[in-house]
Formats: sequence, C-alpha cells, structure tokens
Amino acid sequence: MASLADSGTTIALDGARKTRGHLTKARIRWVIALLVLVFGAVAGRLVQLGLVEQDNTIEGQTRDLITASRPAILDRNGLELAVDIRVPSLFAEPRRIIDVEEAAQAIHSVLPDINVDWLRQRLTGDKGFVWVKRELTPAIQERIMQLGIPGLDFVTESKRFYPGGTESSHILGAVNIDNQGIAGIEKHMDDDSIALLQSLGLARGNELQPVNLSIDLRVQHVMHDVLTDAMTRYQAIAAAGAMMDIKTGEVMSLVSLPDFDPNYPVTALEKDRFNRITSGIYELGSTFKTVTVAAALDSGKVRITDNFDARFGVRFGRFTIDDFHGKHRVLSLPEVYKYSSNIGTIKTMQQMGKDEFRAFLTTVGFDKPAPIELPERRLPTVPAKFSEIVAATASFGHGLSISPLHMLRAIGGLVNDGNMVVPTMYKRSVADAAKTYERVVSSQTSQEIRYLMRLNALEGSGSRMNKFAAGYRAGGKTGTAEKVVKGRYDSSKTLAVFVSAFPLDNPRYAMIILVDEPKDENAQSGHTAGWNAGEATGRIVQRVAPMLGISPDFADMLDKQLVPAQLR
Amino acid sequence: MIRTLNVMLVVTSIAALVGVYALKYTVEDTAAEKTAIQRQIERQQADLSLLKADWAFLNQPANVAPIVTRHVAELNLQPLAQEQFGRFESLPMRMRAPDSSALDSLFEALDSGIDPIQQLITEAE
Repeated sequence: MASLADSGTTIALDGARKTRGHLTKARIRWVIALLVLVFGAVAGRLVQLGLVEQDNTIEGQTRDLITASRPAILDRNGLELAVDIRVPSLFAEPRRIIDVEEAAQAIHSVLPDINVDWLRQRLTGDKGFVWVKRELTPAIQERIMQLGIPGLDFVTESKRFYPGGTESSHILGAVNIDNQGIAGIEKHMDDDSIALLQSLGLARGNELQPVNLSIDLRVQHVMHDVLTDAMTRYQAIAAAGAMMDIKTGEVMSLVSLPDFDPNYPVTALEKDRFNRITSGIYELGSTFKTVTVAAALDSGKVRITDNFDARFGVRFGRFTIDDFHGKHRVLSLPEVYKYSSNIGTIKTMQQMGKDEFRAFLTTVGFDKPAPIELPERRLPTVPAKFSEIVAATASFGHGLSISPLHMLRAIGGLVNDGNMVVPTMYKRSVADAAKTYERVVSSQTSQEIRYLMRLNALEGSGSRMNKFAAGYRAGGKTGTAEKVVKGRYDSSKTLAVFVSAFPLDNPRYAMIILVDEPKDENAQSGHTAGWNAGEATGRIVQRVAPMLGISPDFADMLDKQLVPAQLR
Repeated sequence: MIRTLNVMLVVTSIAALVGVYALKYTVEDTAAEKTAIQRQIERQQADLSLLKADWAFLNQPANVAPIVTRHVAELNLQPLAQEQFGRFESLPMRMRAPDSSALDSLFEALDSGIDPIQQLITEAE
C-alpha cells in the first residue's frame, strides 16, 4: 500500500490513513465550493426578485385613483342628489391569456356591443393590464366569471349616480369616467377641497362626509315641473328659473331648460344645454326698472311722491322712445312702475343723473361675474360709461346684458332692507350670510321697493301672477325684452322675464323666471311676460310657499302696511 | 453531559420547527380568511351602495310625482288651495262648561226618535 514516484528521485511513503485524509479534505473543499455556488445563486435570485418593480398601476393611474370615491351630495333636507355606487369593471392581463381568439369570442358572446376585432387587438401582446369594459352590472360580472377565461378579472370602481335624473342637472354638473368633476358643483368640489384631500391620500376608497347643498329638492322639483309645463304651454324654446333665500343667500332651486341627464354626461354637450341662470347673459328688459327706480329713490333726488310727464316720447336725435302700454299723461312714480312706462323711467333716471345711475349698477354688482360656486359664469356686458341715450335705454333694461343671477341677487338686496347677500349653493346660516351683506340701498328705499313690487302684483302687470299666488303676498316686475335678430330688435321674438319676491310683508325669497320666445297660450291671452313668466311664477309660489312654511293670509291690512306713509 | 445537551437541543429544534410551521400555516389561513372577509365586505358594500341608490331614486320627487299623477282620479287628489289653510286662531274657544240644557234637549229629541243631524242632511239635500 505505497505510492511510488516513477522518476526515482524521491520516494515518498505515506500511510494509508494520511492519503485518505488528503482525499477527504479535497472532497470537502469541493462540496463547500458547490454549496457556496448554490447558495450564491439562491441569494442572487432573491436580490433579483427584490429588485423587480411591481406594476400597481392601471393604464398609468394608481388603483386608488380609479376607486376614488366622491362624497354624496344631499339637498338641504338630506335627500340624495348624487351618490356613489360600486360597480365591477372588466380588465384583462394579455400576457396571461392563452388563447386570444377564444377569449375574444367568449367576451363578445356576453358583451355583444364590443367589436371582436378591437377585442382581439386589445388582448394580444405582453401588457399587464388593459381595460376591456368599465362600469358593468353585477349580473354581467357573474356571466363573465362563468366563462372561466384565465387573464380576465374585475376591479370594483366607484360610479356616480344621480337618482333625480335631469331634475337638478345644471346644479350638479357631471363627472367623467374617472370620477372627476367636469361641470357644476361636482367640478367646484374637485377644484376646492376633494382634489386636495385626494392628493394627500385621504379621500380614497373610504366613506366621505356627505355635502349638504342649499337646494330644496321639493322646490327644485316644482320649478322644474312648472317650467317644463311652461315650455309646452307657451311653445317656448327655453325656460329658466332660480329662487334664492334673500336672508342667507342660499339658492333654493335653479332650473334651466332644455337640460341634460348627468348620468349620461355627453348629453350636456348638445346645443343650448348651457346654464341660462349663471352663464347666460340677457337684456332683461323692464325688470331693470326696479333697479333704476331703487337707484333714483336711494339717491334722494327722486321721491316716491314725484310725478313725471309721460305725455310725449323721449327724443334722442332721430330715435324716439315711447311707451308700450302708453298712458300719455302725467304719471306718479308708482304709476310709472305699475304701467311700466319707458318715458317715466327715463325721466326718473335723468332726474337722478346718468353717472349716479351707472355708479349704482356697480354697487349692485353688475360689473363682475355673479359670485357663486358654479364654475359656469359669465362676465356681464355693461358699458363702462353711459352716454345720454345708452343711459336712457339702460334704465329700462336694454343695451346692457347681465345674467339672471345678477338680477336675482340685486332684487334680493333691494327687498332685504337693502342688504345684498352673496349667493351660495351650500347650506348656510343667517349669521354666516350676514357677514357677506353689502348695503346697496337704505332701509326706507327697500320698503318703498317692496310697496312698488306688491302694487304691481295687485294692480299692474303682475296681476296674472297674483291670481295664482293669492294670499302669499308675492310681488314682482315683468320684463318683455325684444331679442336682437341680425342686429335689429325683432318684436316677434321676445324674452319674457319675471322677477319677484314673497312674502313681501316679511320678505324671505326672491325668484326670477325666464321664458324664451313664448307664444300666446290661446287667442285670449297676451304675449307679454305677465302672461307666461308671470303665470309660471304664480304657479310656483302657490305650490312652494306651503312647503317653505308660509301660510296664506288674505288680510288687507298686510298690503296697507306696505304703503309708505307719504302715500297713505 | 454533552450527549444530554445535544439531545435536548435536537428536541428543542424539532419542537421549534414544528411550531414555526404550524404558525406559518395558521397565519396563511388567517390571511386567506381575512381576504375572503374583505372581499365579502366589498361585495356587501357594493350591494349596499346599489340599494341606497335605489332607495334614493325611489324617494325622488321626480319619481314620486308621476305615481301621484297616475292616481289623481282614483284618490280624488287636488292641489292644495290657499283657502284650505286654517289657523289655530280661527278655532272657537272651548266652552267653560257643557251646555247642559242643549244636551238635555238633544237626548230628548233622540229618545223621541228625531235625529237632528239627519234632519240637517235631508234639509240640505
């Protein structure tokens, strides 16, 4: 048992045990090397796996954003105007799909409105995530699950649902498929607070505090109902209306017809679906006389007992401005208002002075877009400086355009003891609202305006309104503005407006109603605003007043108390 | 001595091994259970959101009004008129004591077979 070197120089003799020992050591070394290699490979793989980035995004957006929820929108009494529903959305992982053709055909069998070619293209490739169809029903989810195709799965998304349909469309606006507001209050909420919350990661996937709007859904329904009726009754092309609590500035209802269904936001883009109350600007015609008379009375240069010569038209160069319901005699100020005399109003304005009149329009906020949370707002067009003739036409509401909301806010200020409030779409207390009050006229002027508005309802152009709203002490002013067609006033196309406030013994609500291009209801009826916008106002007041806790009172004393002391 | 220590260590490590495996599997079970419950909660929340939406839809004036209109004839419904409102002040005050003589005459009339209310009705007709 000896190993022999054949060179013969040295003979090394090792014991058997020693030789085996060497061999074992070599083997152990090999084993260690192998183990190091194996464990090294495992460790390397672990590091590699650790470095792999998980793709948690859905077509570039994080999963959280897709399932982001929005707060429920409630009306002032807690009825839902907009709620979130959770719906399944179908997505595919193309890299896990084995047979694209089979998958495409199977999906097509459940969702026949999807194009097969499009599906095939969509499902081919190495992507980790593609949408197939979003916002499905649980029943369809069940059927697709039963197909048992690998690589198809569902994610629960939040979808906005508006249970009222078209009824409050212009207030609420709409959201896009990613649940971001694109119009109305929905957009305002995004711009305002929700976007901030979401960016902080707070408003995701969990319940948010519902938001109370100022809207009263019952009032909203009545206004929508009456205006829809007015559209057919007077064959009008459009109608709009808004009602505001003049003490708190809360908008109780806002309707603009034709409207759209926020559940199908595409319908909002159709022609003429814009919000006429906030983003439409119009020549509001004779309703403007209320503002003119208030300005004149408040200037102190015109008193309620003054008389104005309305025998002859007012001449400006080759134009003569005359009265529509011409009396052609000397009129007292209440008569100027009651008969809606253009001549009398111009004389009233001239007695005050045109610059003072222009300054008053700034005071009542006719130079800026009306302050409201809705993003759809427009700048009114009021000439910066009035010439004699522009001031004259402006005094009866022509040659300047403002939004109906401007007028509503101004009227609210005029009857609310001269305190003009900033309107809001959210619920607000009187105390909070009082901080936004701007004094536009004196308390005495406000009192005289209330008398004039009530007088017009009792004896003037508002009597058709008062026929319906009897007992609720409503008063208002009509305006029948001819529309400009190809640069000329067209007497066959008019915009009928009615501004009102009730109950005038203790005013709380102001309302504006517009009927665009009304026709006569029947042969006996007229075409001026009292017959359409006025009647619609009366119908609304009649139905809404009991809901708002105003009980009818037929006592003559209430109307007598409105008459200023000088006229008693 | 060392032998006992070794035995003890082996036993401990086997026990630890079994324990760790058991723990691992219970954790996996719990995790699966948690996911299942989470899924269930999600599904129920989704169902609840649909039911809430349904409830909101059914309560909308826009939904109730057509139902009312449909039943106007059967239930003889009419819009509330201003004249139909009453006030507490218009109610007469309660009498201090019952009018005993009037009651007596009423009972006497009833006993003799004359119903004054029926009389009023027939007169009205």
